[in-house]
Amino acid sequence: MNFRSSVEIITEWDIVAARQLGRNEAKKAGFGTVDQARITTAISELARNIYLYAGKGKIEIERVSEGGAFGIKIIASDEGPGIPDLRKVMEDGFSTSGGLGAGMPGVKRLMDEFKVSSEPGVGTIITTKKWLH
Amino acid sequence: MNARIPILKLNEVLIVSIQWELDDQTAIQFQEDLLNKMHETAALGVVIDLTPIDFIDSFIAKVLGDVINMTGLMGAKVVITGIQPAVAITLIELGIRLNNVMTALDLENGLDKLYKELEA
Amino acid sequence: MNKIMVEGINKNMDEIIERWITRMKEEKGERFFHFMPDHLVEKTSREFAVLMTSNINESSAANTERISDFTEKVVRFGWAIKFVNKAIDNFSDVVYEFLEEKEIINESNLRTFNLIFRNWINPLRESIIDAYSTEWERTVSLQKIALQELSASLIPVFEKISVMPLVGTIDTERAKLIMENLLEGVVSQRAEVVLLDITGVPVVDTMVAHHIIQAAEAVRLVGAKCMLVGIRPEIAQTIVALGIDLHEFTTKSTLQRGMQAALGMTNRAIVEVEAN
Repeated sequence: MNFRSSVEIITEWDIVAARQLGRNEAKKAGFGTVDQARITTAISELARNIYLYAGKGKIEIERVSEGGAFGIKIIASDEGPGIPDLRKVMEDGFSTSGGLGAGMPGVKRLMDEFKVSSEPGVGTIITTKKWLH
Repeated sequence: MNARIPILKLNEVLIVSIQWELDDQTAIQFQEDLLNKMHETAALGVVIDLTPIDFIDSFIAKVLGDVINMTGLMGAKVVITGIQPAVAITLIELGIRLNNVMTALDLENGLDKLYKELEA
Repeated sequence: MNKIMVEGINKNMDEIIERWITRMKEEKGERFFHFMPDHLVEKTSREFAVLMTSNINESSAANTERISDFTEKVVRFGWAIKFVNKAIDNFSDVVYEFLEEKEIINESNLRTFNLIFRNWINPLRESIIDAYSTEWERTVSLQKIALQELSASLIPVFEKISVMPLVGTIDTERAKLIMENLLEGVVSQRAEVVLLDITGVPVVDTMVAHHIIQAAEAVRLVGAKCMLVGIRPEIAQTIVALGIDLHEFTTKSTLQRGMQAALGMTNRAIVEVEAN
């Protein structure tokens, strides 16, 4: 059962919509309160990045299973300017918006798997997964 | 949707209970309202209760951290109460520590701590 | 062809078993054939032989039911998998040699017999490996659950003071569980001070220390204080040698001292009362 739902991120309110969707999906998938908070927070960070840096993009949430494990997959994609130095955004404390800069490394810590691909001028896709233990 | 967060005054202390999920605008509005209220009332302390909040992302955490620092600059002490276990864990994993703030389990404990701190 | 083979084996079963036992006794690393009384070795060997030969009869495709019966019984012998493997090897070698001696196997039917042997032995071996690995996986997952159950309960000792004794190695998965139990416990028990007792943690490396620091910080966020107790001398040495900074939270050498400090932090003390 590969059920996928998505939220377009255009305005600041869409961040709220995205994390509400994430929280519901996490709950439905059977995650506990702590993992629900982790997933919701990760989505909030990803959605805010899209809103701040790309202006427009999409958060997709999908249930996944792999070799007997079940989980949730979040895909954040945009057609923004891209990330010029991927290594740098994964450093703690790095931020271009003057925020806390906890964004990307934080999301990586909250989730179980994290993959980012970015091409300057084309956009960024971040895929991250959380497994039910 | 742009409801303001009520700020109550109890003697020289302000009490804030955040009852629903904070969106960015409300958070920023709250920052401004609280500082104004501090100025008006010359309060010595603030207790912010977060019991109903089930997640805090880095933006909200930054706003909260800023509020705490600004309140400190205005000479008042802040106690944050009722941070849920799940919220505490995600904050730590995000790398957010809220170092220079007092915390307490609930409003009651928070007020106790604040009064003790103000007496000292 | 199979029939001739089975008959050949059955007629000479005693000798085959004897040869097989002799070979097995030469194998190193398994004490079964040396320590068990002779009649038991004899009995088990015969059982094994019967189980082995019961699977030749079928013409070509392996009979799954018989094989699983074989596997189930062999696993019950309690031998190491390596030894079972050797036992199967030796048995098929002995049978092969025997059939060659009796000239049941000869130049002309060599190919056919090779196929028979392969169809006979391979499914048995696969089934054995499968059974053993399934058993291991089951054991591992059960132990994992057992470890999780035994780890990390927060015990309310006094009003406002709770203790969590940590026992055993802490990996990332356990650390997460510990953190959750700790925080849920602090909130539900309304603890103001929690003592993390690491007396039972064999090694504190950077990773473990990192988890402990994170737990302590999270405890502070929910509104309580975390104290680390049960720091043995060698743990103190490694912590300093690794350059781990623990100065931000209270540490005590023993649970007893920690408890005294915790009482002090909550404005209480234990006093002696005079006996009547």
